[in-house]
Amino acid sequence: MFDRSIASVVLAAALIAAIGGAQAHDDSKYPNWKGQWIRVGGGQGAPWDPGKPWGRGQEAPLTGEYQAIFEANLADQAAGGQGTDPTYRCIPSGMPRIMIAVQPMEIVVTPETTYVMLELFTTLRRIFTDGRAWPAEIEPSFAGYSIGTWEDTDGDGRYDTLVVETRGLKGPRTYDSSGLPFHKDGQTVIKERISLDRANPAVLQNEVTTIDNALTRPWTVKRSYRRVPREPPVWSEYICSEDNRHVLIGNENYVVSGDGLLMPVRKGQPPPDLRHFQSQK
Amino acid sequence: MGRQRIALLAGGFLIATSGFALGHHSFAMFDQENPVELDGTVQEFKFTSPHTFIILQVKDKDGAVTTWSLEGQSPSALVRDGWSSKTIKAGDELRLTISPLRSGAPGGAWTTNKIKFRDGSPVVVSH
Repeated sequence: MFDRSIASVVLAAALIAAIGGAQAHDDSKYPNWKGQWIRVGGGQGAPWDPGKPWGRGQEAPLTGEYQAIFEANLADQAAGGQGTDPTYRCIPSGMPRIMIAVQPMEIVVTPETTYVMLELFTTLRRIFTDGRAWPAEIEPSFAGYSIGTWEDTDGDGRYDTLVVETRGLKGPRTYDSSGLPFHKDGQTVIKERISLDRANPAVLQNEVTTIDNALTRPWTVKRSYRRVPREPPVWSEYICSEDNRHVLIGNENYVVSGDGLLMPVRKGQPPPDLRHFQSQK
Repeated sequence: MGRQRIALLAGGFLIATSGFALGHHSFAMFDQENPVELDGTVQEFKFTSPHTFIILQVKDKDGAVTTWSLEGQSPSALVRDGWSSKTIKAGDELRLTISPLRSGAPGGAWTTNKIKFRDGSPVVVSH
């Protein structure tokens, strides 16, 4: 009985300590980014730069080699293919494309880490703000490894801008559905400056600069997101493999028909190579 | 009594307010410059990721039935447009304008601003 009482006291003390630790997060030091955010602008096709048209209209500063890859991709898309955009196979958008926020996102700020939770492809970004150094090696991932620092740009004693650098990115990735490519060397570096619009706190701004060896210079794009006014926000599940009707066989992609069979996506597309079925006869 | 009305509508994109914003893949696989109008009966409404689908039975003038696989936006996007998994159901008669697959196979893409019940009533009143 006595031991049980002591155990209860110890447990209560531990809980109080834990709660005290959680309360040590001083909300007044950080901006209010709560709620549900979704992209502003872009329209048709959700281009990477929302201020310019999809495709060539983006005027991406690609090197000659990668402009040629992009053009071949556009020709394939015009015929009905998917070009270099890998997302039809449920390969996630990755960084920086996921920050288009075609579907909603939520941002949770803690002193050590800011979490960006994106509905599309159920993507989680962790932006470490605990002062850590870059690891000697980073295992590549689609979301990448992000380190951030907070800035108080107006000197009011409250952080307003999160400055983020992301490295360690895995491919294949494209900037958007037009197939704008990244270099295959995996050396992309993404820099972001995220802050509320001073004139409208229902708008979040993100200045994104991409440094990549497929570009002739760093490419900076300004994106923004609006806070969805609906309370409580509605969140949807996104499990890409649930009913993905795109099928890649060899180098050909097909789609599944209403009656469960394969359909071509391009005129004159050959059927799949069935040699391994024929050899069983 | 679904019937296929392949109407080569005037050229021009189906942009409007509910145009394509497909996060999952490029929309270029659909021929937006040559839309097709379909009348048919819903076989199944798949409220699934990464895209919703309407499986639509469409009869031609000779009575032959073709099953169309019609891709819509993600459930998340449809919810923001006032839809749910119960908005349409098997047996509903629909009239919609789609952007067909470039291959000519019975598939295509639809948007919420180009779909009605066959009697002309809106599928979602708020839209």
